[in-house]
Amino acid sequence: MSNEDAQIMRWLSPLEPNNRHQGVSSERFDGVGDWLLETTEFREWRCGEDGDDKPILFCSGNPGVGKTYLR
Amino acid sequence: MPLTARIISSLVIDSLCDRAQEDNIAVAGLYCDFLSQQEQTTTHIMGALLKQLVSRGGIPDHLREAFEKGKKEFGGRAPRLANLMGMLKIVIASLPRVFICLDALDECLPKHLPELLGSLRDITRESPRTRIFLTGRPHAREDVQRYFLNAVVIPISPNPDDIRNYVEMRLDRDSEPEAMSNDLRVDIVRVILEKISNV
Repeated sequence: MSNEDAQIMRWLSPLEPNNRHQGVSSERFDGVGDWLLETTEFREWRCGEDGDDKPILFCSGNPGVGKTYLR
Repeated sequence: MPLTARIISSLVIDSLCDRAQEDNIAVAGLYCDFLSQQEQTTTHIMGALLKQLVSRGGIPDHLREAFEKGKKEFGGRAPRLANLMGMLKIVIASLPRVFICLDALDECLPKHLPELLGSLRDITRESPRTRIFLTGRPHAREDVQRYFLNAVVIPISPNPDDIRNYVEMRLDRDSEPEAMSNDLRVDIVRVILEKISNV
């Protein structure tokens, strides 16, 4: 990336969400959460046709649901 | 920390990115975090999404012009939310299909949330093809549904298969496997799953 491009990127936002994503992804174990990708709700959201009136999928979870129970 | 929700967000982002080229989609996302509340303003979040969306195809001219203009004013002016929304809408319209993922909505400052959800709603109104994936604690559901009546909700609860896989993986990696009989191993998995189903 040229110097000017890097400047523009920083101007757009100081946040660097990619770094955080790599950190979270690396904590994930294979197969964990795959059930979600198989749900009808997820598949419909993923493949929804244009003009579909359900563009939003919200996953609600309590803090500590999952791995933190296993300490 | 809503660990599972966060893990689920990373899974959704990765599964979308894995097929981004075949499916001809663009993916942008961000993890909200209590520790970054002050800097995770709606303006910065929208700017970050924009940054991710232009990173593959190169920075478009209208964005360069806005940057040059901002640089000359007032000794260098940061973009305002309205400017970013304008640029974001143009970029989204130029892409075949955009997926936006925002994790842990309730971890951004409560005063930022209405503006954030309102901005996302603006995007879906302008570009109805855009898909948005959100996570948050259950109480955030009301906030989401205030802006998106038709939001589809999936509750995340401890999933026995996920827990079993995790426990078995940890047992496989045990540093002294010979100290554990098969019976003990079966017991460990059984007891943990029983305890969790009582939570």
